[in-house]
Amino acid sequence: MSTQFVQAVWGGVLFGSVYGLMALGLTLVWGAVRLLNLAHGALFVVGAYAAYWVVSFLHLPILVALPFGVLAAAAFAYLMHIIFIRPVIGKPGFDNSTLVATVGISIAVSAAALLIFNPQYKVVPPVLSGSTIVAGVQITYQGLLVIGTSLALFAIVYAFLTYTRLGMAIRAVSQQTEAASLMSIPVVQTYGIVIAISGGLAGLAGVLLSPSFFLSPNSGFNPMIQALIVTIFGGLGSVRGALVAGFVLGVFESFVEVFYGVGWAQPGVFILIILMLIVRPNGLFGIGEVKRL
Amino acid sequence: MSVGGVVTAAPSRPEVDYAAAPWQRVPIYVIGGTVVAGILLPLVLTRISIGDYLITLLILFFMQAVVAQSWNLIMGYGGIYSFAQVALFAVGGWTTAVLAHSLGWNPFIAMLFAPVVALLAAVGIGLPTLRLRGVYVVLLTLAFHELARVFAVTGPRFISGGGYGLVSVPTFQFGNVIGQQRTIYLYYLAMVIFVIATFVIWRVIHSPLGVAVTALRDSETYGVSRGINQFRIRLILFAISAFFTGLAGGYMTHYNGGISTSVFDFSRLIDLLAMIVIGGWGTFAGPILGAAIIIGLDQYLVAIGDYRALFEGLILAVIAVFAPQGLWPVIRKTYDKYLGPEQQPAPAPASAAAHAETRNEDLK
Repeated sequence: MSTQFVQAVWGGVLFGSVYGLMALGLTLVWGAVRLLNLAHGALFVVGAYAAYWVVSFLHLPILVALPFGVLAAAAFAYLMHIIFIRPVIGKPGFDNSTLVATVGISIAVSAAALLIFNPQYKVVPPVLSGSTIVAGVQITYQGLLVIGTSLALFAIVYAFLTYTRLGMAIRAVSQQTEAASLMSIPVVQTYGIVIAISGGLAGLAGVLLSPSFFLSPNSGFNPMIQALIVTIFGGLGSVRGALVAGFVLGVFESFVEVFYGVGWAQPGVFILIILMLIVRPNGLFGIGEVKRL
Repeated sequence: MSVGGVVTAAPSRPEVDYAAAPWQRVPIYVIGGTVVAGILLPLVLTRISIGDYLITLLILFFMQAVVAQSWNLIMGYGGIYSFAQVALFAVGGWTTAVLAHSLGWNPFIAMLFAPVVALLAAVGIGLPTLRLRGVYVVLLTLAFHELARVFAVTGPRFISGGGYGLVSVPTFQFGNVIGQQRTIYLYYLAMVIFVIATFVIWRVIHSPLGVAVTALRDSETYGVSRGINQFRIRLILFAISAFFTGLAGGYMTHYNGGISTSVFDFSRLIDLLAMIVIGGWGTFAGPILGAAIIIGLDQYLVAIGDYRALFEGLILAVIAVFAPQGLWPVIRKTYDKYLGPEQQPAPAPASAAAHAETRNEDLK
């Protein structure tokens, strides 16, 4: 019992930080650009495969591959912004266009991954190996690293948005685009930066998670769905909400998994989110502005 | 929404107001000719060597077009970003499969229950979902898709068939007819479904319901302030869409003699999305055109194998960003410019709702 409990808590905190990491990028982009990025899972895959490539073809240590993966995902996201998002910013069909375009991109990315690397599951080596046993539960150091990184990133992003000039510009753009551009904030460029940051976060999640979940061309899909759920649960566009909701949902899912069986985990989460939307349609920390998209 | 009044024209046949009754613009000869061509086509095709293959392609086209049109009805016209379309197709397919497979019903009778159950499922999803907007709808409908998939794979044995789906469902039998003659009958059945679905969707788009829904899509504040019950309208539209999707699912199940869990593959959803986007998002004929293009091209795209998904994704993204209207408006403009009759000066739109309607009637 006690082992099961520790197991559930450990799994929940681990899942929660992972979901939070993915959701952070989604919620940033939503908050600033009002873009529902359905290619977020593709960015995850880009980061993970870039790191895999560095490790297995260039034979470099994972500590080199990690920043490479993050940069690759960020660069890809920025490219996506330049080619597909920027042309439709401010146009009437923005929602439709970006929705379809990001779906298309995510299809193209997983197809490309399938062509470049084969469909076999890949293993990215963990940054930290080894584990310790606490109350009969195996605690991997990689898991601890994931949790630590996730919490640190939330703190960094929060501080970045609150105290730096660029962060303030991002918040200004997300609150009032016109006013921001009157204050000579380059709005479209700021959008690009936000999207690149979000891509980097997704890439980081990809590199850190692939040791525990194997890497395949479609492995970004489930984390993205989970991140969407977390984002909505916490309130779209809310950084604090993503953190709290990530842990709440992670622990909930883990407890359901441990005590009722794996098969109930996902249905349980879906039922929870439906209930949540009925009780609080804007999520935990939602701003109440759900008008567009 | 006083548009409906013009439909039942007075016996003295006054001048038709084309802006208010755009369906009157399509000559009856065009429709009649198309239907007759559709009826005669298999008789011609059986004379040529690859005719059988072309007929099966047409059957596939009819069904995909029905699903694409239904999806376009809620996505393009309704502005509801639902990704539950394939799941509803599967609901229809599984309904009829279970009835015919486990209970031994006649496929023709079992198929009639497919749209009904799909409609009920749609109402079930719609009740919690359709009060919400955009991104929430995306998420909850994707969730439904995923739940349906999990249930189909891990559900009770008479549903999951052990994890692969139901593979030995009775097919349609027309007495003792076999071979080519049977294919022709299957073709006619598919065509009837296609014609009914197309006609109903056409009428729905140009009914007060359709006008209301496009008004809501284009300006929600305005539509709601004019007393349109948004939730109710969306639910009705969603149910209509699910009805035909389920019917197509039922047909395809008996046509293939089974339904496998691979219908939930994401690529199916992408194919349908590609039909809508390439053909023309939110236009009447767009999804039909898109279905024809995708199914026609598919035969050639098989050769490029894995590159297919890559190209499809890129084309989707490029069209969505650079030509969001799709192909149909381009074709239509060309037709109007070179072949079409002289344009009557359109009366000035009286209200935003009428404006929304005239803007979105792209049928021909």
